Amino acid sequence: MGIQGLAKLIADVAPHAIKETEIKNYFGRKIAIDASMSLYQFLIAVRAEGAQLTDANGETTSHLMGIFYRTIRLLDNGIKPVYVFDGKPPDMKSGELNKRAERREEAQKALDKATEAGDQAEMDKMNRRLVKVTKEHNNEAKELLKLMGVPYIDAASEAEAQCSAMVKAGKVFGVATEDMDALTFGANVLLRHMTFSEARKMPVQEIHYEKVLKGLELERDEFIDLCILMGCDYCDTIRGIGPKRAIELIQKYKSIEKIVDNIDKKKYEVPEDWNYERARELFKEPEITDVETIDLKWTAPDEDGLVKYLCGDKQFNEDRVRSGAQKISKSLKTATQGRLDSFFKVLSSTTTTTGPAKRKVDDKKNGPNNKKAKGGGRKPK
Amino acid sequence: MFEARLVSSGTLKKVLDSIKDLLNEAIFDCSDSGIQLQAMDNSHVSLVSLNLRSDGFDKYRCDRNLSLGMNLANMAKILKCANNNDTVTIKAQDNADTVTFMFESQNQEKMSDYEMKLMNLDQEHLGIPETDYACVVRMPAHEFARICRDLTQFGDSVTVMCTKEGVRFSSSGDSGTANIKLSQTSSVDKEDEAVTIEMQEPVSLTFACQYLNSFTKATPLSAQVCLSMSPDVPLVVEYQIPDLGYIRYYLAPKIEDDDN
Repeated sequence: MGIQGLAKLIADVAPHAIKETEIKNYFGRKIAIDASMSLYQFLIAVRAEGAQLTDANGETTSHLMGIFYRTIRLLDNGIKPVYVFDGKPPDMKSGELNKRAERREEAQKALDKATEAGDQAEMDKMNRRLVKVTKEHNNEAKELLKLMGVPYIDAASEAEAQCSAMVKAGKVFGVATEDMDALTFGANVLLRHMTFSEARKMPVQEIHYEKVLKGLELERDEFIDLCILMGCDYCDTIRGIGPKRAIELIQKYKSIEKIVDNIDKKKYEVPEDWNYERARELFKEPEITDVETIDLKWTAPDEDGLVKYLCGDKQFNEDRVRSGAQKISKSLKTATQGRLDSFFKVLSSTTTTTGPAKRKVDDKKNGPNNKKAKGGGRKPK
Repeated sequence: MFEARLVSSGTLKKVLDSIKDLLNEAIFDCSDSGIQLQAMDNSHVSLVSLNLRSDGFDKYRCDRNLSLGMNLANMAKILKCANNNDTVTIKAQDNADTVTFMFESQNQEKMSDYEMKLMNLDQEHLGIPETDYACVVRMPAHEFARICRDLTQFGDSVTVMCTKEGVRFSSSGDSGTANIKLSQTSSVDKEDEAVTIEMQEPVSLTFACQYLNSFTKATPLSAQVCLSMSPDVPLVVEYQIPDLGYIRYYLAPKIEDDDN
């Protein structure tokens, strides 16, 4: 799941790259949503009294509830979501997947133990750890999205990679996911907390790739190496190197090869058969569905279809489903507010710095810019 | 060293009132030629462009270009402390982390100064291309403010239709529709009260009321307002600040979806 500790590292080292805004500021934007990620979120979060919502046959409906209402919330805010589902996982990920399976087994054991002991809190905790997004969940979610008139895409492989490619091609504005590896894949804009519940009042975090690179003082390739060092889904890491050490090493040696050549092998154990090269390839040129062939269309919802699908066995409240469908129709009809940035181009950006304390931190970053501005001021007219 | 003095602080108050609805904080770019401000609101729908020429000030000195990041709510608090006919002086050192506002009463018997902390801000500058607008409408500023206020009651958006005969503002909502038409004034007795329309081709655009109403906060600055429009580009609402400069607002239109 993403890159370990990257969010924190960016917040520490390149705070300018992260902007917190409200969801309503994204109206008119097309946004690619990592579907597997959100389904997982919904399965964990959308619960009543600690248990997942279920239909008459005991099948889970938490994910449908989540997709239905959270998507409506996005549409209501004028956002145009497109869901991207995971394809087959890359071979490189099998190690990580095995680890996850192991962890699940452990959780199952712990759950059995807790059930025996009657420890409710522990049972809840382990229950959540056992959550897995199955193929059925995916298919049901797709069926629902089709009825709602919201487009979805099947990625060839990893959803984050597909989303990132769509952002790069300008098909969508940003990727909504919690996984930081969308940045490693080079997505220009990453949006976190987009599909969170309204009740949590969590601001949306907008992370800009270019600003991250600038803040960390890295090139694209170096950033990928950094992510691999910090721990990605595709290969092992060098034990004992955490985020802080990783960024120092990358800034000094620029690539994993040079780091391996230079570090103290006794202190840091480089894993055998370390496949970082292939992981790097995977980040640089992931397997994706050709972006140009993707046609995104938002259509009117099939109200009766939705009622039939959700209110039958799945036991959704018919009135609420109907009013939801009407909200979707309404969001399609109203003219969308244009954005100024689609008319005017950004020429430059100014950063004002104040106070000596702050300047010290920003010195390296803004030094040359400041000088330039001041020099310009002195130029005779 | 930066120093700018205005004999009447009333103007500065009005300038601030005209932007603080849209912006929470902004960078004031001070240079030899004057003070400039360009900023988008949070949602990136509208943009404020303020230009105060150095020769419009009673005293102006700017040795080096300075970018002062200010919190506008705090600035408003300070300006509230000044009487309208007080003289105001804005001062900042090079590389300062504060800016000082000094107020002097007319009889020079009361002097007050307020120091405000500056902010670290990141702001993008947008390039606004020179455009020949299809329609340019000039009308009394208070008239425009009234129209926006009245139409807001009926809907969220106003459609502005400009033809040779005149300009029509309309809005509609659940309760019904509202239309206001202004014709070009035939005889110009008072220049301030005139409505003039320069038109190359008719235009019809729709805008969100909320933003138009924020723009009309600049009404006290100027007798006339100028609306410039072309199909499918942002509207420009301009208020001239007599002897000092101008404030322009840009507003992205609402668009019917083409990709559905």
